[in-house]
Amino acid sequence: MSIIQAQNVKKTYNADTIPVHALNDVTLNVEEGEFTAIVGPSGCGKTTLLNILGGLDDATLGHVEIDGTSITQMSDSDLIDFRLHHIGFVFQAYNLIPVLTTKENVEFIMLLQKQDEKTRDARGMELLTEMGIADKADKRPSELSGGQQQRVAVARALASKPKFVLADEPTANLDSQSTKDLLDIMLRLNEEEGITFVFSTHDQRVIDRAKRIVYLDDGKIVNDVTVKK
Amino acid sequence: MLLKIAWRNVWRNKSRSFIVISSIIVGVWALVAGTGFMNGFMVSYISDSINHNTSNIQVHHPAFSEDKDIQFYIENADAKAQTLRNIPGVTAVTKRVLVNGMIASAKKASGVEIRGLDIANEQQVTHLDSLLIDGAYFEGVKRNPVIIGAKLAEELHVRIRSKIVLTFSDKEGDMVSGAFRVVGIIKTSAVNLNEGTAFVRDADIQSLLGIGNNYHELAAVTQTLIEEQVVIGKYKNSYTEDLIEDWKEIAPELAYASNMFSNMLYILMGVILTALVFGIINTMLMAVLERIKELGMLMAVGMNKSKVFFMIVIETIFLGIIATPIGLLCGYLNVRFYNERGVDLSEYSKGLEAFGYSSDLFPYLEPSVYLTVAVGVFITTILGAAYPAYKAISLKPVEALHKI
Repeated sequence: MSIIQAQNVKKTYNADTIPVHALNDVTLNVEEGEFTAIVGPSGCGKTTLLNILGGLDDATLGHVEIDGTSITQMSDSDLIDFRLHHIGFVFQAYNLIPVLTTKENVEFIMLLQKQDEKTRDARGMELLTEMGIADKADKRPSELSGGQQQRVAVARALASKPKFVLADEPTANLDSQSTKDLLDIMLRLNEEEGITFVFSTHDQRVIDRAKRIVYLDDGKIVNDVTVKK
Repeated sequence: MLLKIAWRNVWRNKSRSFIVISSIIVGVWALVAGTGFMNGFMVSYISDSINHNTSNIQVHHPAFSEDKDIQFYIENADAKAQTLRNIPGVTAVTKRVLVNGMIASAKKASGVEIRGLDIANEQQVTHLDSLLIDGAYFEGVKRNPVIIGAKLAEELHVRIRSKIVLTFSDKEGDMVSGAFRVVGIIKTSAVNLNEGTAFVRDADIQSLLGIGNNYHELAAVTQTLIEEQVVIGKYKNSYTEDLIEDWKEIAPELAYASNMFSNMLYILMGVILTALVFGIINTMLMAVLERIKELGMLMAVGMNKSKVFFMIVIETIFLGIIATPIGLLCGYLNVRFYNERGVDLSEYSKGLEAFGYSSDLFPYLEPSVYLTVAVGVFITTILGAAYPAYKAISLKPVEALHKI
């Protein structure tokens, strides 16, 4: 079953002055349980496509459905609520809340979902344990390494039990070991818990471990490969 | 969690928060101290007038207030004074004979209001004896003693034991004169007492006027928290024929000054709090612009705009909650310090006395003013936070996330 359906998506910036076509007629379906990498050179439209799939940006033309719900015409406030309950985000720069501890950062999403304290506490610790950073629960982000911060970001993305996780260049700021550790975790979650991951990257180490690779160039999908391992 | 984030955000940039907190403290302090000083002027002006001049309540013959004709005296003044004295809340009552006339010394003459006093009760009502700067309270001479103001004494070139002549019309309309000897000189901030009043004993003036044992005025003082209109109502239950007024009706300029002061308080508060609003807007805007990426992330992961808005507002309220009590305390200690010691404004005494103000200032504030200031600052912090918070929720998550 397709969890993401993007049909004929176009995105044009500066339409009134000098138009820049970031995405040009992109159609992409992502099935539940996939581990998909969107790859391509800088400026090819990877981040724009992820932003549109995540409801952070709107398409100039085309249609996007997430888990059977069209998000193309949703209002800003409906989109915020939709993202909260359906999509997990991992950002390149981790973007944790610096004034909260690791555990509080993870619990924050569940708090927005109005989950009770007991559930938040249990799931928060469960996720941090899964990420191998339970001992850092009371540390602030500034006390963690880049790899550890990104693992907190993944835990936060999973806290809301989303339909899928969108990750924009998740390993761009990480060293080799941290990249490997993070990919191990993401793959394990994908294989053992069936969590769908869609991420943009131009990191060959990540591309090598992806199960499906969507190649973008000049705003168009030029290749879509399912890797058999 | 929203409170926790907001509270921790306050301490994220300590120096910036310290600047906002300091500016609120200084603003509140200035507001309380400034208002206390202004109020000190006004309270002393009004209380001096009530305590030494008008009293809280006065009773007259209804026609006397119109043309001050000495024939319009109060019938049965002694009994009515006793009735007033018996009303709960009334602390002292005195009777007066009033006539306008001339006062003349060997060198000069001037128009005055002559007050014939029931001297024992007058002490309880106007504390006239406490205003003496020279001489004694109707002591020193047996016949026709008079007390006058320092300014009048200066103008007439008289001093203690100097002889002066009072001239006025008697009951029949004939001019009569009486020689009096100065036994006391008073000084007060009330211009009319200082420059235009001669105080004599009631019996001395009654015999010259030929009005027998009659009086033109009853003056009463009440306890601080007693509402004058309640006393007036009770008096009117017994005597309907007299004109009985409270100090606001007797001296409307005092009531006007009191109202004007209340308005001045709000104007002063408005000016200081407006300056504060801009300070808060500036600082909170910086705080928002510094965290654009983080705010974008919060909205991206599902924090709705109202929560983001309130988070910024709560942060600002926290700054206000920390600063306001400190500012109020500084202001309170400031007002209290000078209230106990007084502020000597004798350098400006001539100018102040010309307007009826005392040159000794005792700043004072009603407790309710502290509450008004606190509420004002609370509203100010919310107003100051509103624009930065609006800017925060106007951000598009996707643009905010990619801001460098």
